[in-house]
Amino acid sequence: MVPKTILTVDDAPTMRKLIAFTLSGAGHKVLEAPDGKAALSLLKTTRVDMIVTDVNMPNMDGIELTRNLRALPQYARTPVLIVTTESQANAKAAGKQAGATGWIVKPFDGQQLLAIVKRVLGE
Amino acid sequence: MQQQLIRDLVMESAEALDQFERDLLALETNQQDSDLLNRIFRIIHSLKGTSGCLALHKLEKLAHAGENVLSLLREGRLDPSKELVSTLLRFSDGLRKTLAEVGETGAEGTIEHAALIGELVAIEQGSTRMPPAAAGSAGLFSDEDPLFQQATPGPTSETAAAPEPGTVADSAIRVDVGQLDRIMDLVGELVLARNQIVRFAGNTQDAELIKPTQRLNLITSKLQENIMKTRMQPIGNVWAKFPRLVRDLSLELGKQVALSMEGAETELDRTILEAIKDPLTHLVRNAIDHGLETPEARRAVGKPLEGQVKLRALHEGGQVIIQVSDDGAGIDREKVLRKAVQRNLVAADEASRLSDREVFGLLFQPGFSTADQVTNLSGRGVGMDVVKRNIERVGGAVDVQSDPGRSTRIRIKIPLTLAIVPALIVRCAGNRYAIPQASLVELVRIGEDQVGTLIEYVEQCPVYRLRGNLLPLVHLRAQLRLEGSDSSGAVFLLVLQAEGRQFGLVVDEILDTEEIVVKPLGRELKGLAVYAGATIMGDGRVALILDVMGIARRVGLLNEHSASLRDAFLQDAKSSVASGRQSLLIVGVGGGKQAAIPLASVARLEEFACSHVERAGTSDVVQYRGEIMPLVDVVQALGGAAPESDSARRVVVYALDGRNFGLVVEHIVDILECEVKLHRTANQPGILGSAVVQKRVTDFLDVAALVAQSGVASFEKAEVEQL
Amino acid sequence: MSQRKQFCTFYLDARLFGVEVLKIQEVLRYQEITEVPLAPAVIRGLLNLRGSIVATLDLRRRFGMPPLEDGTLPTNVVAQTSSGLISLLADRIGDVVEVDEESFEASPETLEGESRELIEGVYKLPSGLLLVLNVERALDLEAAPHA
Repeated sequence: MVPKTILTVDDAPTMRKLIAFTLSGAGHKVLEAPDGKAALSLLKTTRVDMIVTDVNMPNMDGIELTRNLRALPQYARTPVLIVTTESQANAKAAGKQAGATGWIVKPFDGQQLLAIVKRVLGE
Repeated sequence: MQQQLIRDLVMESAEALDQFERDLLALETNQQDSDLLNRIFRIIHSLKGTSGCLALHKLEKLAHAGENVLSLLREGRLDPSKELVSTLLRFSDGLRKTLAEVGETGAEGTIEHAALIGELVAIEQGSTRMPPAAAGSAGLFSDEDPLFQQATPGPTSETAAAPEPGTVADSAIRVDVGQLDRIMDLVGELVLARNQIVRFAGNTQDAELIKPTQRLNLITSKLQENIMKTRMQPIGNVWAKFPRLVRDLSLELGKQVALSMEGAETELDRTILEAIKDPLTHLVRNAIDHGLETPEARRAVGKPLEGQVKLRALHEGGQVIIQVSDDGAGIDREKVLRKAVQRNLVAADEASRLSDREVFGLLFQPGFSTADQVTNLSGRGVGMDVVKRNIERVGGAVDVQSDPGRSTRIRIKIPLTLAIVPALIVRCAGNRYAIPQASLVELVRIGEDQVGTLIEYVEQCPVYRLRGNLLPLVHLRAQLRLEGSDSSGAVFLLVLQAEGRQFGLVVDEILDTEEIVVKPLGRELKGLAVYAGATIMGDGRVALILDVMGIARRVGLLNEHSASLRDAFLQDAKSSVASGRQSLLIVGVGGGKQAAIPLASVARLEEFACSHVERAGTSDVVQYRGEIMPLVDVVQALGGAAPESDSARRVVVYALDGRNFGLVVEHIVDILECEVKLHRTANQPGILGSAVVQKRVTDFLDVAALVAQSGVASFEKAEVEQL
Repeated sequence: MSQRKQFCTFYLDARLFGVEVLKIQEVLRYQEITEVPLAPAVIRGLLNLRGSIVATLDLRRRFGMPPLEDGTLPTNVVAQTSSGLISLLADRIGDVVEVDEESFEASPETLEGESRELIEGVYKLPSGLLLVLNVERALDLEAAPHA
């Protein structure tokens, strides 16, 4: 497995911690941002290999973030995983439309997350 | 203020809905285009918002229902299936209907679109019933959609979207059409005033006047040209409706149709576009309805399942050519003829003699329909005859070609003449008439003394020899049923052209060429085929504009059948018909007597100056068309006096045994056909007998005897051999 | 409450005809007319109305009346119709008359044939009868007398 730099974007710190914990346990380096706007700001100076983003966030939601990412040349093809909830059925479609690579429904456990991350990274 | 806003909304929405439909149709083939999906959503979203603000609540409600569906479409939760697109097209129609109502009355009318809204709501709700995603479940989008590629949509902000209709048009402005028309009229008046000034300046030596006049001339021409351009619009504007039309029709009829449009940028004057809009629509409908076969039928004959309908427009030689063609079953000549005979449009025995062009022309006759069942689409009372008439009303022509079993091609030609045309002004029976220069080939002046000879008659039809070809003549005075005979002075012949056929129009006087403003005749006079409109002359009086095609048709020139009959007759004057009638050339033979010569052997009527008559031995001869032709003086042979030495000789060139002889007569009287009952008179050599023709006793010449009598025959033969 | 309408009136012989003022564009004295050969006889010809070409309808002929004698030139009553302008040729112009709707009556049955069709009805004026001309019908030339 090749270690990657992954950005997790979520307005709930707990969620961020959880994802960071799971992914770094698998050997990846994890960065955090509380919403889409902050994430974009961060990405101006730091390069990442993948983004895991929640959908509902203030300032800029996950769908818009995905769209904006796709407009940036260096992130046009970067794997993006969106995190949705059970009742947000249309978010999945929106995410697909925005150009996300994959999705996961929370709550999930570590194994499920790792499995999808692996697939999204193309392993 | 409110009213103005509403008017603006109506106008902008019409364009926006055009775009909406275009995008929907494109979406059918290009399903993932997020730009399209965003745009169609935004169009309706915007329409909803604006209608709400303007208290147009019915519109708002309908738009809202559609917007919800479009939102789902945009999110990828609905697929743009054929059914969905059809529903959305109907949704667009519903919006248009209410908008039209608003445009006309300022209010929304009574239509609630309840059924349509219900349908849209059902679609919306049908797709929200998706099962909630299970916790922990995850996946790649490419799992669902193997072809899914991560699209690279632009940033979300609504304002940075694909160009709205209107942003591209920053270099264009809206102008009320009525305003343009007013400007057109004023320019027309300016042209007339300019014409007058130019005329006056022409009579003056005043240099101070001439220069500004020239400038005025130039500026006016340019102004005219440029104003005309503002009225030009691309034919694509009319074609824009066709993709939808074709789609709807093909679904309804169960046929597969591919529409291709070439030359959409070709420009035409606005009024012409307006006039051909319906005919073109009808032709496209026809091509799909009657031309193209069903997929099964096409497969059976080895054609690709999808039928082709091709629209093509181009400029060619001062005309616009528009073609509608299809690769369908073509036109069945026999079927058309059968129907035509059935409808008494053609006599049964004539049927086989008609050319393909004429047979197809039958399709344009009123009351004609070859469909086995008149479908409710094309048979709506808009027949092919109406198509033809509408096209001809703007000066165009339409014809049909077909390759049975393979294709059909309908060709429309429309002259680019706009409202101001150069014309020749002539006078006939004291009134002035204008003839468009476009139809004028050349002018011929026939001097007073030549009228009798140069205008000849075949079967009572006047003709003129124009460089070897016989040109049928039409006397304008007679056509217009005006009184008085043609002036005894010189006459003028206008060689005119209509659909490739030429004829000569005889008028009293030729006045001027001028640029005239063509004004249409009102409904009370529209039916008169000989007029194309009227114009106001420089002196303020009205003059009528002649319709060359109308005149040609009226005299039967454009009827191929009779024209070819006439041509055949003119070329081969063997007119002896089984009925016992004979065609005769009646000539004056001196002393007030007249004689008849069988027309069958008459080659030509000529006039030779006396200087051309030469002496060869004891005979008079002339050099004629490369040979030496002996002259036989019929007048003298019948006891008349010899011609004066310096007068011209009127000669009937007569073919006898393969040689030409010139029969000298006093003058030509007439050509006619009649039953001949000869009375054998006392044995006078050279005369077969006599009969009463046109109330006069007429001697029937025995030409062979006359020739033999004159002694020229044997002499000539020897002469020729020597050479 | 009765409505009042205004009519522009004109004479053919002693008969008074009228057309609603709203439908009349203007009234002109005789203008030079260009004849149109082959046109129906009731169309006298065309005239130039400030740049517009307007056809003239010979009302006398339309009603089957004999032509004006003594060389009097008719007057032009220019009316608007569904298909454009038309100039009605009348003997002479009358006043603009205001009528009371109540004085209106449909054409009497005694009026014959063509005339019946051409008259919409009659207003009973103190000074006489005002015959309301049906302009659209007058222009309906299928029914008009031919040359």
